Amino acid sequence: MKTRWWILLLSILFVLFGLLTLFFFLPRAQAHSAEIWSEGKLLQTVSLHQEQSFVVEGSRGSNTVTVKDGKISVTEASCPDHYCMKRGECDSGPDIICLPNQLVIKFTNENELDATAG
Amino acid sequence: MTKRLLALVLAFLLLTGCAGRPDWQETEFFAMDTVMKLRLYGTEEPTEVFGTVIRGISALENVLSVTKEESSVARLNRGEAVTPSEDLRILLEKSIALSERTDGCLDPTIYPLVKLWGFTTGEYRVPEETEVQNALKIIGSQYISFENDMISLKNGTQLDFGAVAKGYAAEVCAKMIREAGCSGILTLGGNIQTVGEKPDGSDWRVGITDPEQPDESIAALSLQGSHAVVTSGGYQRYFEENGVRYSHIIDPATGYPAQTGLSSVTIVADSGFLADGLSTALYVMGLEAATEFWRDSDDFEMVLITQEGEIHVSEGLSSRFSCEKEYQVIEK
Repeated sequence: MKTRWWILLLSILFVLFGLLTLFFFLPRAQAHSAEIWSEGKLLQTVSLHQEQSFVVEGSRGSNTVTVKDGKISVTEASCPDHYCMKRGECDSGPDIICLPNQLVIKFTNENELDATAG
Repeated sequence: MTKRLLALVLAFLLLTGCAGRPDWQETEFFAMDTVMKLRLYGTEEPTEVFGTVIRGISALENVLSVTKEESSVARLNRGEAVTPSEDLRILLEKSIALSERTDGCLDPTIYPLVKLWGFTTGEYRVPEETEVQNALKIIGSQYISFENDMISLKNGTQLDFGAVAKGYAAEVCAKMIREAGCSGILTLGGNIQTVGEKPDGSDWRVGITDPEQPDESIAALSLQGSHAVVTSGGYQRYFEENGVRYSHIIDPATGYPAQTGLSSVTIVADSGFLADGLSTALYVMGLEAATEFWRDSDDFEMVLITQEGEIHVSEGLSSRFSCEKEYQVIEK
């Protein structure tokens, strides 16, 4: 009886682990645009297909955001650790975050539309 | 011990099952010859708001429809004089004003032409030149007569609010949704109306249909707050005869389907009526005239797609526009 429980438990864990692995390691679709959030507010949404560079000035410091070749990166930052810059050029994946300046760059996808006009 | 572990695993499974539950409620219904979809945020009990909106739209349809025999518009079109409802009066006044503003590129009295081409019945045909010329003679807002609180139509002209009714309906519904304390997004057969903000503060993401592949979207708009987004395009309804494509958007000046090199026009405005009406009017104008018209205005933004596939986006929308293809920004 006891062995059966263990088999059941192990198989559940095995399936869970498999699902989690899939979730984290499957290649993600490239995003088409990114949202720039500063201190909890959405400043603007930028297209990753339109090259541009701009400075986000927050009350805690500033970050320069650059879009090039379909990717977005933080190219200059006033924060001490520069973790945001170390993420490099990205087009998908987890948010790019600058904790000291409270800047968040979120990737958004065309697939996640609320509605379509036309 | 084993049982506890198992309980823990099961609890975890249950938790993940709940995580994906959306924070909105949705309903679909048929009205104005199309499918309408309403998604509401900020309410656990949406039934009442759904009901209010559906009743509001069918009330408008009962006044404005050209095909419902007892509607005010159908009676006007049969030559009767009608005491207009508040909505009909507002819509007529707004339509006449927009017709003047767009130099007649939009005309509420276009119905004789729409009928001639068979776009109301679906029995499409290319009319004779003389038929078109005769229909053109009775088209124009000057044939709408306002007398003693009554409206009637002169010289056999006929009304068709097809180019503005859905936009106006969306505007009216947006007000109802706001008054109910909700936010949401309303789709009236390709006319989009956003109301308020999403609870998580993220943008409304509204796609624009690809005129070459109407199942796909070619671009997306990220919007905050309440906006109407309306697209008019020749791809939406057309017929072909002897290899020529005739679209449903008829130029009130020539009486023939507008052929100005555009394949679609998308308008973003605060007012649903304006967005709907201008999407048709600017399609009739063509790229250059539409660009000039936008430069002289300050109450809308636009995305124009040409038949060659060029995409032109007005300046005020460029930071909210995303597209995989190259596009040009129209500056003031």
